[in-house]
Amino acid sequence: MESQTVASQLRESPAPPDNIIILAQDLWKIYDMGAIKVDALCGLSFSIRRGEYVAIMGPSGSGKSTLMNLIGCLDTPTHGEYWLNGRLVSQLTDDELAYIRNKEIGFVFQTFNLLPRATALHNVELPLIYNGTPPAERLARAEEALRMVDLGDRIHHKPNELSGGQRQRVAIARALVNHPSIILADEPTGNLDSTTGEEIMALFDSLHQSGNTIVLVTHEHDIAAHAHRVIHIRDGRVDRDEPLE
Amino acid sequence: MEKLTSGQPAAQNPRPKYGGLYNAWVTAREAFWIALEALTTHKLRSFLTLLGVVIATTTLIVVMSVINGMNLYIADHIANLGTNTFILSQFKWAQGSEAWLKARQRNRPIRMEDYKALKEYVHGYKSIGATASGNRVTAKYGSRTLYDISLTGVTPSMIDIGQQKVAYGRYITESDYLHSAPVCFIGQDLVDKFFPNVEPLGKEVRISGGLFRVIGVAERIGTTFGQSQDSFVQIPLTTYQRLFMARPSINVSVQAWSSAQMLPLEDEVRSLMRVRRHLRYNQEDTFGINASETIMSLWQRLTSSIFAVTIGVVAVFMVVGGIVIMNIMLASVTERTHEIGIRKSLGARRRDILTQFVIESAVMAGAGGLIGVILAVLISQIVERLFTSAVPLSGIVVGLILSTAVGLFFGIYPASKAAKLDPIEALRMEG
Repeated sequence: MESQTVASQLRESPAPPDNIIILAQDLWKIYDMGAIKVDALCGLSFSIRRGEYVAIMGPSGSGKSTLMNLIGCLDTPTHGEYWLNGRLVSQLTDDELAYIRNKEIGFVFQTFNLLPRATALHNVELPLIYNGTPPAERLARAEEALRMVDLGDRIHHKPNELSGGQRQRVAIARALVNHPSIILADEPTGNLDSTTGEEIMALFDSLHQSGNTIVLVTHEHDIAAHAHRVIHIRDGRVDRDEPLE
Repeated sequence: MEKLTSGQPAAQNPRPKYGGLYNAWVTAREAFWIALEALTTHKLRSFLTLLGVVIATTTLIVVMSVINGMNLYIADHIANLGTNTFILSQFKWAQGSEAWLKARQRNRPIRMEDYKALKEYVHGYKSIGATASGNRVTAKYGSRTLYDISLTGVTPSMIDIGQQKVAYGRYITESDYLHSAPVCFIGQDLVDKFFPNVEPLGKEVRISGGLFRVIGVAERIGTTFGQSQDSFVQIPLTTYQRLFMARPSINVSVQAWSSAQMLPLEDEVRSLMRVRRHLRYNQEDTFGINASETIMSLWQRLTSSIFAVTIGVVAVFMVVGGIVIMNIMLASVTERTHEIGIRKSLGARRRDILTQFVIESAVMAGAGGLIGVILAVLISQIVERLFTSAVPLSGIVVGLILSTAVGLFFGIYPASKAAKLDPIEALRMEG
């Protein structure tokens, strides 16, 4: 995989500087539906620096979800380059993408996406299981991550024994446990009431202050307002890219 | 919080452990618990799913147990002519019906003269004895009657050769033999019936009209295939000749000193008998020499065909069981698409998902095998009471390995389906 990346770097443009954690250049995603071709992304470009707090906004159908899948390494673009943490990931195989997802990305989903029958601790452990962390270290790190989100006393609870906000905090602990390059949150407050939503956003704020790079995908302005920069997407292109106060 | 700084450059943080054997082991162990949990949550479904594998394993082990039990039994009770002993009789046992029909025309009975000649001229045997068995007889003591008793005339040496052991009293002696004394050595069935609370020694039993004094009682043997082996009466062979049949057809038992001596001794007996019967070199024996192996080999021919049929039946059950498991695993993959999506989003590779589902399937089938083994052991214990059975360890091992292997094999297709799922599609499926 390393050699392939090197080879790709020779063919493509050189790697971005070290402080650029995400570099998207001319990303295209074309869905081939047989008779018609749907362009979900049409030559989208942007970059995100290490430690930034960015919100990606856009109406439904704007290509927001497609972009999120690309950023999250769940999918690869049809054309274009996507650099994540100094690595060209736009042309990797499934298993190589799995490795990147495990190491570089901490997902926080709208629907939490916890394993329903597993305890909070086991849910947080999962990413560590998939990179072969020894059990003792795994347990210690999972517990630490849960303590970090104030769930130290709930580690043996199953998701259905936790409130929505607590579930989302378990998901955040799971996203943090592998020390990823970016935390990618997709409508993290979409399934929560506004008070709990504010608590979760406060947690994201403090995570950002401690140095994490956060990419927030949302359509709510209140939520996007927590970020320091908003990228507006429309029709598969960057519509506006503006800093917030 | 300061620990949670975001991503260092990738090159500085390689993870050599990733993808190692250790990782596969962790996945395997996790899959094992998931499988157990899935099995215990849906008990009825699990039971129905595993029925095929359970029946297959049970059948296999029960048949193996019964055959094994019968093997032990035959070796112990039927083929046990005595240690290093062969029997000279009119016919060779356990031959095909055609050979037997020919032998029926050709062979002549063994007579007392043959026994005496063998005793005189054959050298190096440890012991030699003769028996003459007549029809089944009726025994009476007082007002009590026992039907269908086997009556055998024996030489005193038969105590060294045959299966009987003296429980109390004594066996037939040379003196009884010489004087053709009206004495008898009886089996436990007669004791149970005639002398439940009485000392049997010295009592007189009426057998086929003649009166016989009980001189000894044999140790209990038990039953073979439901037939009591203790309803017998032995009397001196000379007494048998005097009272029942002057010129009986007899069997001669010859005991060698060692198993190595068996064949030379058999040859010696054969040569002498051929000389006595004036057989030319191109004529076949007109008598039979039988050893334990004769019976065992016939028996093994029989059981091997039973076993072949069993293997066929078990194979069919296993395939059916495997397909049912595959079906359930496919349903499980569909049911848990969302879970697979979550796992993939967290970095599970194809082979992690593949391992998980294959192991789940193997554990499921293995659990079926285990239930089958337990069931088979229980059934085998019941059969042992009624008939005969002994669970061989190899049967348990084969049953467990076979069922697990079936689970592994039939789990591959559903597992590869799960492994190939697209993470985005899978995540979109709400579980």
